[in-house]
Amino acid sequence: MDAGLVVYALYLAAIYGLMAIGISLLWSSVGMVNMAHGATFAIVGYAAYFAAVWGQPVAKGLLGAAGWDMPALAVFIGLVAIAAGALFGIVIYLIAFLPIHDKQNFAVRSLIITLALNLATVQTLLWAFGPQQKALPRVFGTGRFAALGMSIRVDQVVTIVATTLLLGSVLAWLRHSRKGLEIRAVMQNAEGAALCGISTRKTALPIMMLTGALAGLAAVLLSQNVFVSPTAGVTPLIKGLTIALLGGLGSVPGAVAGAVLIGFIEAATGAIPFLGQRYVLFVQFTFIVCVLLIRPRGLGGLLDETRE
Amino acid sequence: MAPQQAEKRFFEVGRRPHEITIRPDGSEVWRRARVPLTKRHWLAWRGVSNPRSLRRERRLLDKRPLWWTIGLGGLLVVTPFLSDQAINIAAIFCIFSAINVIWTLIIGTAGIFSLATMAVVGMSGYAAAAANVYLGVPWPLMMPVGALVGLVLGGFLALPSTRLDGLYYALLTLGVAEICRVFVSQIKVLAPTNGSINQVGSFIPADWLLQRPGLLLGFFAAFALLLAALLVFRLINSERLGLLLQAAREDEAFSEANGIDYRRARLWVFILSSAALGAIGAFYVMFYRSISLAVFSLDQLLLLFAMIVIGGLGRSEGAVLGTAIVVLIDKGMLDLGPLRIILVTAVMIAVALTAHHGLTGVRLQFRNFRNRKKSESRAARTKKGGEVMPEEATEIADKQQVYYRLFDKRLRDQLKTQITPELIAEHKARPLGQHSDALDRVLNYFRRGEMPDKYAILRVGAYTASTYKVLAFSGRPGHPPRVVDDKLYASMDEAYHAVFLLRINDLLAS
Amino acid sequence: MSDKLLSITGLSAGYGPLRVLHEIDFSVAAGERLAIVGLNGHGKTTLFRAIMHLVGWQQGSIVFDGVEIGGTRSLGEGRRTPGIVRLGVAMTPQGDAIFPGLTVKQHLDCGAYTKASWRDRALRRDHIYDIFPQLKALEQAYVGKLSGGERRMVSVGRALMADARLYLIDEPSLGLAPKISQRVVDALIDIGLDGKAMVIAEQNVALLSGKVDRMIGMHAGHLRGDVGHVDLS
Repeated sequence: MDAGLVVYALYLAAIYGLMAIGISLLWSSVGMVNMAHGATFAIVGYAAYFAAVWGQPVAKGLLGAAGWDMPALAVFIGLVAIAAGALFGIVIYLIAFLPIHDKQNFAVRSLIITLALNLATVQTLLWAFGPQQKALPRVFGTGRFAALGMSIRVDQVVTIVATTLLLGSVLAWLRHSRKGLEIRAVMQNAEGAALCGISTRKTALPIMMLTGALAGLAAVLLSQNVFVSPTAGVTPLIKGLTIALLGGLGSVPGAVAGAVLIGFIEAATGAIPFLGQRYVLFVQFTFIVCVLLIRPRGLGGLLDETRE
Repeated sequence: MAPQQAEKRFFEVGRRPHEITIRPDGSEVWRRARVPLTKRHWLAWRGVSNPRSLRRERRLLDKRPLWWTIGLGGLLVVTPFLSDQAINIAAIFCIFSAINVIWTLIIGTAGIFSLATMAVVGMSGYAAAAANVYLGVPWPLMMPVGALVGLVLGGFLALPSTRLDGLYYALLTLGVAEICRVFVSQIKVLAPTNGSINQVGSFIPADWLLQRPGLLLGFFAAFALLLAALLVFRLINSERLGLLLQAAREDEAFSEANGIDYRRARLWVFILSSAALGAIGAFYVMFYRSISLAVFSLDQLLLLFAMIVIGGLGRSEGAVLGTAIVVLIDKGMLDLGPLRIILVTAVMIAVALTAHHGLTGVRLQFRNFRNRKKSESRAARTKKGGEVMPEEATEIADKQQVYYRLFDKRLRDQLKTQITPELIAEHKARPLGQHSDALDRVLNYFRRGEMPDKYAILRVGAYTASTYKVLAFSGRPGHPPRVVDDKLYASMDEAYHAVFLLRINDLLAS
Repeated sequence: MSDKLLSITGLSAGYGPLRVLHEIDFSVAAGERLAIVGLNGHGKTTLFRAIMHLVGWQQGSIVFDGVEIGGTRSLGEGRRTPGIVRLGVAMTPQGDAIFPGLTVKQHLDCGAYTKASWRDRALRRDHIYDIFPQLKALEQAYVGKLSGGERRMVSVGRALMADARLYLIDEPSLGLAPKISQRVVDALIDIGLDGKAMVIAEQNVALLSGKVDRMIGMHAGHLRGDVGHVDLS
């Protein structure tokens, strides 16, 4: 087990953590399971691809001489990804949340609608762009560098650092800002929050934009290794859901812990000779089944702020 | 007083849906046929005596058997005349409906959110196929083998269902499905040719496969399978297990306090349903004469899930209706390409946005909506007190009560206009004796009141130097009157006036 | 009636097929402290919830400070509640709708929904601590773990944080020991009402008699005591 593997595991954990935290956060604050995350993934991938296609010559022309073109392009693609993810979050808000959030049977119906949105988006992308995969330029760093006596991939480190910073700031924002306070109030008692002048609809919108943006960032970071295609979001959606459930739905520390564990398992399974990539899902699911049998509510258990 | 004929709105009282009634001849003896070997009747006829026409009538209470017969019977009769492709679609519809009906049993009746349906179907199919191809088991025995394997798998899957709930269990079953898929694909001896078993024995002879006779035979067998699945649903859902679980669905803690072991009932329903799914899996293999890894695919599972949610969870009609809609779009409109999946998702979104509990719950939802609108318009129409609501009026046997209450209200409204300070001063001056017309009317109304509305005067102290208090009657035998307040009145006249004022207050407030 | 802070005419409200309020007419003037007394289940809470748009359906007009906030409505409970709160109506619901995982300080901050009150929320918090001295020590405690009386104080304090014009206090003594409910009611009575109004719904008449300007009885969805009342003297 070398450091390269550890970094790879953390890299995977960072990406899956972005998805899982988005799902957990949305469930605990709004009471909705977002199956359309996979669609966000795919759409953001295409948006980033087109942004890269358009932006690469521009960046080269403007900043190519100084050598800043790649980082600038990286930032640009990142911003486009976040914006596209937030935009799709607004779409999900308008279709799956707003019409039915105070009606009967909201949890099941929002599940169905987001599932339908997922399927529809994937099929539309298939129909529009065909099933061929496209590759994003490797803007987040190429090559390796030597550290601790081993060679580590630059883009993985960049991903890990960027994700940690971003997630840290998001969680700090939730804990300390006024909007975060409103969101937590709505999470715990919707009627009490309404009596304090806090509207559920007005707090759900930033949350959905936020989770969409997180998924978008995850899409762009992962597409360094995985190609952009309409079905790119299926596996990350399943992984995100399973990690969110593994960590206890609604528990953000649980989602982080689950993401780290699953990341390590995936890296380790890929490295073990007689298992290989084909067995990754199998091993992960076996692990999850075992954990759920021991702790039926996932790793996070019941915290004060979770919703049933 | 010109008669006011102009706009008189008549409000409908109650709602009598159009009933199927039979008016048998008065001298006929009533016979009701029973299902052989049971005590059930085929249809739920109820005999009533119509009080207006004084004739005997028979009404059909539950019309659902009619709809089932028309729908499925129509399918059975029409399909042999359609094209080959249509027959294939009808057969697929029957198989998927059977799976969905049993799945509704698991999700709706037992309340276990299981996504392992296709895993059970697939594993039993593979086991039955392997038994037939490698162990030489003859094809009639494939279904029992499949049912047995389904039973065993159900036993394994049922154990965690008591510990995990809701989405966590769904995740577990998703994981199990994935595990099964990898498991099967890795066992080379089971499925040498990229995970599929071919040339499986079946009730369809080999030379009939993909020919019209074979398709027809396959369709009729699939139809029989659907009927069997519906029978299993009926036997479990409407009998003891289903009733126990319905009690648990309403209120778990209360049913447990009543001694209903709903956990065990849930386990039993799950295991029996898994056995049924296993049998369907074996049929699936026999129908296609082969089985491949595509049976485990997630897309297929999500499509089946879409079918049952469109139809509405919890009812077998929902499963069949949802399957019909999705299969029609998905397989019937193949020339649309990827657009048909988008159409299916559009239907899903439309149904989820408008219907609370799927398409089969629309009737109940509309009825609740209409009742709510009726109560609101009732709130707009009514006046304060006194009037009997039309819905209440149908429940009162003696209709004179309705008219009396209306009369009473009109009288009170008229008397309220008569109460003036002059009237009160007149009564204060002379409580007993000759009164003006208005005061007489008011006093007569008070004297005609019922006991609970009346007051009494209590003498306190000796006869010569007594004071008076006002009491209120309770109106119930055995319950003494209660003191209204602590005021003491020096003379009877003052006490009479006090009682008068209290009655006036009650009149004004009513 | 232009001087009336709140005037309700012909309000009927209910849940589904059940009609709880039958055409209530009711008004509150500025500077008035008013008590609505009656047994449980007779519609006091429904009246407050109808003003806040939290009942199943309602009909009739509610005019608050010249703005019509009532009207015919069915379903969509709570959709307009934040808007009504921001107009200046503060309600302390029955059973205190508290947030179990937030601290007392965060509760009080939630109550400061206007920009001005958020900016000087520390000052306002101190003001609340003056009214309810026990809360000062419990500033960082989770409200889910506090006792009933302390929760009631937090709930009332939260309603006082922003500058509301109309206070609707629902059953301040519900589930509390007599000493503590006395304390809560005393604190409510001490709150100054210039240009504002307070309506308290209470089952325990003795707690409030003599301390409020007006007392109205509510029975079976009808208000009594303010309608066509004849002087008994």
